[in-house]
Formats: sequence, C-alpha cells, structure tokens
Amino acid sequence: MHTLIEKYRNKYAVITGFYGRQGNRFMEYQPQRSIAEKLQMAARTTGCEGVELCYPDDFADPAALRSMIKDLGLGVSALNFRSRRPGQWMRGAWASESAADRQAVIDDCRRLMDIASEMGVDRVTNCPLNDGADMVFEMDYQRAYDHAAAAFEAVASHQKNVRLCIEYKPNEPRARSLFDTAGGTLAFVQMVGSANLGVTLDIGHALAAGERPAQSAALLARAGKLFYVQLNDNDGAFDWDLPPGVLRFWETIEFLHVLPRLGYVNDWCSFDIVPKEFDPVMVYSNSFTGTRKLESIASRIDDVRMAELVRARNPTETMAYLFSLL
Amino acid sequence: MSPWKYCANASFYGLRRDRFTEYQPARSVADKIALIAATPGLSGVELKYPFDFADPALVRSLLQDHQLTLSAVNVDIKDATYFRDGALSASKVEARDKAVSLLREGMDMAAEFGIDLVSTCPLADGHDYPFQTQHQIAWEHFIESVRRAAVHRSDVRLALEFQPHEPHARIMLSNVGKVLYVCQKVGLANVGANFDVGHSFCARENPAESAALLATENRLFYVHSNDNTGEGGDWDMISGSVHFWHWIELLMTLDAVGYRGWIGGDIMPKVFGPDEAYATNHRMVEMMWTLTESFGRERLAELTGKPGAIPALFQQWTETLRAPSTSAIATS
Repeated sequence: MHTLIEKYRNKYAVITGFYGRQGNRFMEYQPQRSIAEKLQMAARTTGCEGVELCYPDDFADPAALRSMIKDLGLGVSALNFRSRRPGQWMRGAWASESAADRQAVIDDCRRLMDIASEMGVDRVTNCPLNDGADMVFEMDYQRAYDHAAAAFEAVASHQKNVRLCIEYKPNEPRARSLFDTAGGTLAFVQMVGSANLGVTLDIGHALAAGERPAQSAALLARAGKLFYVQLNDNDGAFDWDLPPGVLRFWETIEFLHVLPRLGYVNDWCSFDIVPKEFDPVMVYSNSFTGTRKLESIASRIDDVRMAELVRARNPTETMAYLFSLL
Repeated sequence: MSPWKYCANASFYGLRRDRFTEYQPARSVADKIALIAATPGLSGVELKYPFDFADPALVRSLLQDHQLTLSAVNVDIKDATYFRDGALSASKVEARDKAVSLLREGMDMAAEFGIDLVSTCPLADGHDYPFQTQHQIAWEHFIESVRRAAVHRSDVRLALEFQPHEPHARIMLSNVGKVLYVCQKVGLANVGANFDVGHSFCARENPAESAALLATENRLFYVHSNDNTGEGGDWDMISGSVHFWHWIELLMTLDAVGYRGWIGGDIMPKVFGPDEAYATNHRMVEMMWTLTESFGRERLAELTGKPGAIPALFQQWTETLRAPSTSAIATS
C-alpha cells in the first residue's frame, strides 16, 4: 500500500546559489563557481532531481543554460528573482520610494516571467530582501504596501501562466522585513488579488518568525496560496539554513506529514542550505537522504489512528505513538 | 556631560558585508582614522590586530596627527585559515596555540601603545549542529586558553566579548553568566568583559542587570554601544533606537557602578555613512544621559527599586520628557 507521501512524492531541488561562494558578516565560504560547475555538482548530488535557478546570476547565456540542464537531466523547480544585488535597489525594490527603481524591478521581473514561460517553468519566486526597514520612522508602511501591491500586480498580470511567489522572512538583511510572516504575506497577496500571485513557504523562515510550519502551510493552502516550499532548519533565533530536521525534528516531520494532505503533491521542494566549509555535494546529498528518511517516518503515521489521537488531544498519547514509529 | 569617553570600532568605517550584500567602500586604516577623527564626539578608536597594525609606526603617527587615543586592541581570532574548527576551544592544539599567541601579541601591542586593554570576541568557538562539539572538552580548552593568554602579562586587561550566536548558530561565550564563569575559573584579575549592549539584548538579557553583575565582580572592562530588536539578529543599530527605556536604565546603572571607561560605538552604517551613524549614536547616548540628569540622578536612584514607586517614576519621566531642557537639546 502506498502512503500519500510515496504516491504523490515531491521532487527535491538544489538552489544553485548555495553551490557557489557564500558569505556572512564574518566569514566567507566556498569558492565562486560558474553555473556550469554548479549544475554539474547538482547532477552529482544524490537524490537531486532539479535546480532552482537564480536570476540574473545564472542567466548570462540562457541558451547554454537550457542545454546544460537538459544534458544533465535536471528539472527546474523555479526561477528565483533576486531583488537584492550589490549596489542596486539598496533602499527597497518593490516598495522603493523611487518610481524609477520600482519600474526597473517590474521590467526585470517581467523579463524573468517571460523566460520562465519560454522554459516551461511555471513558477518565479522572490524573497523581497531589500523591502523592509531597520529603524522606526524609516518607512511609510502604507505607501510601501501600496507601491509593492502595484508592482507585484504589474508583474503577475504580465504573464498569467507563470505563478509569482513571495517568500516571506521575518528579518535580514533588514531588522524588519515588509513581508515577514505567513499571515501578513497572505493578507497582502489576497489584497492584490491576482490569481497567479501566491506565497513561498521557506520552513526556516517560518521557524525564525516564531511560527509552527505545518500550521502556516495549512493557512496558506486553505487560501489556495501555498505556491512553493523550501526546506531547511534553524533554532528559531535566526535563519541558519541548516539541513531539515537537525534541530526541529518533530516540527519538520509534522510539516512533511501535512504537505500532501494540503494538496502539495507531485511538486518540488527546493533546499535552502548553507554548506559553510563542507562540500556542498555532500551536504545536499546527506540532506536529501535525511529528509527522505523523515518523510518515511511521517509516512508511517496511520491516518485513522492519528485522527483519533488528534480528536482526543492527549499530547502524551500522541507522542508515545510518534515514538513508536521511529 | 556624561562621565564617559566615546570611541569607534574602526572596522565599521570600511567595507561591511552581510549574507546578501555589501555596504561602504573598503578604506585604508589611514582613511578610517581620518573619518573617525572627523566624527563629532569621538576621541578614541578601536583597531583590529593583526590587520590594522601592519605598520605600527604609521598607526602611531596617524593617531597623533588626528589627536585620537587607541581605546583597545581588538584581536581577531575567527580567521578561517586557522580557526575553521574553533580557536580558544579548538580540539587541535595548533589552533589553540595560534589563538593564544595572537592574544599575547595583541597585549604586547597594547602595552607598546601605552594602553591596558585588549578585546576579543571568540566567534570561531561555537557550533551549528548537535553532536558537533564535545562540550566538556571544548570548555576545558577554552578556559585553559584564556588563562594562557592572560598570564602573559598582568598589566594588560583581556576583555572577552560575549555574543549568543553568529556566524555559528551557537557561540560558546553566549551570555553574561558564561563570561563570569570563565573569569571565576581562570581566576586572574586581568580577565573581564567587553560588554556589547546589543549582544546582551540578543541574549535576551536586560543589559543594566548584566552590566551591574559584571561591575560587581570587577569584570566590566569595556562597553560596546548599539541596539537591536531583541529577536536574535545583531543589527548594530543606533543606541536607544529600539530599547529606549532599557538604554536609559543602563546608563543610570553604568554611572552608579562607577564605570568610567570607554563607550565604543559598534554601529552598522549600511548605506548611510559611518561618520553620520557614529555621530548620531554619540548624540543619542548623550541625550539619554541628559534625560537622566533632567530627571535628577538622586531622585532616579531613590525611586528605582522602591516598592510601589513605578507609577510615580514613570509619571516623573513623562514630565521630564516635556521639560524645556531636553527639548532644547533635541533641536540644538
């Protein structure tokens, strides 16, 4: 008998950016690598079925990119529109006070929507990292939401067969992001009202925002806005981008358990993990294997039994049952 | 006038990075010192060892020319070449030896410049994963390394800067209690704390309480001034821009415990210039101090901690905030 997770198995992808140079405030990790090297590494990664490509970095030669992906037999989970770029749009992208900057963001993201359509990829995702504020009185929040609504609508309406996904995150690099939680981002996309505008749920961002990831996924799915899922882990204090389940073991299992029940099936989960000084191929291979293991634990949950336990709402009984599945 | 001297951490006057972007151009040590000298309110500069001290004679003449004092030598022990798997706590003896010798060199450099303060933030000593560290062994190494550095010379103080996390999900020296533990275990008078107010907020402390604890044990050697949202991110924001009342309580406490050292700005300038960020930070701290003076320091001390006095205390704060003396400062 196939479980839901096995039957409607989601594929796993690598975000190409994490196979090259990564830095933080204090350290640098990994050499810079060409997109060709990154793709070859992804193809060597155990359990990797595809890539999430980063725009503009990976798109210097789109034709060569497409043929490399095809030759390596990789799928494409999504195109990631980077709205933070050194020296560009530093005071906001979608919500910038500068009409020229907003227009540049709209034009560039429309270009990527067109590329996605040509490539047969139905998803463009963006984490609006530049849109937010450090200090109080730095931002007119109402105007920021208005600007962002108009800009996202302009991109979404440009290419209706591609879904545009906003990846929320509570903070970093700004002390406060404009799109900081599942609820706030859902309210925003509902307010904009474009059918192809939705939300990317990065499980680590949900944890860093103090959310219970399965609950956030349910809320987004309930509204038909759970467009994309990214996996990783952290301790809730900051977005450490660690492999799924190394810290938040049970919450990750609960999340993997609910995903197919919310209709997120036969789709992609991309992994957002910083390998630091370790070999990225090894880190992602281990993460994919480990997450499939977590899925197999989740798939042992018997729906009838769990429904009874949830109705009874006796957490000690439920935990005993969960331990029995390990 | 407050009882403190103000200085800047020179690294914030050059190129800064976060995970996603870069801010500010790279600047030479000469340019950094010139910019700090031009920043209103600052009389000192904290420099990094070994990077800023490639030519000590040049540093000496730059400081002289700009009439700046060296506040502290900040020894960097997170360099990935040596300390990828820890520095003071590393399992490899070579890494521990390197960290200890860097600290000793930094202490000698401080003495050469006629000051008695070395600061270090042991950011390489931490972990991301469970099972990544044998904690009992790592802590033994950590304390032994601090002792080996500190015994090098008793005329220079070694200020340890705690920080709860970053770049690792957990840093060993993560809160005020652990600093005090290290000080007690090492048992040398010249080991103490560089108390970074933002790190204290990140560690979910009330900095006034932490500063009082450190001062009571004679371990409050140095203060780094900044602020953040208290949720985990060490945003290095302008002091008092988030935790306004906590900052005022901290200043009151620093004065009460007799701290008369440096208040060193540790502010991330991002896209606005470092001189603007540091000048504003200095002005904000002085304005908060002036508010305690307007309130009346004796009156504030009398009401603080007095059972049932909280309503009266905040009533008087409300009146103080509207007093002419403070509004005059705000517009000056």
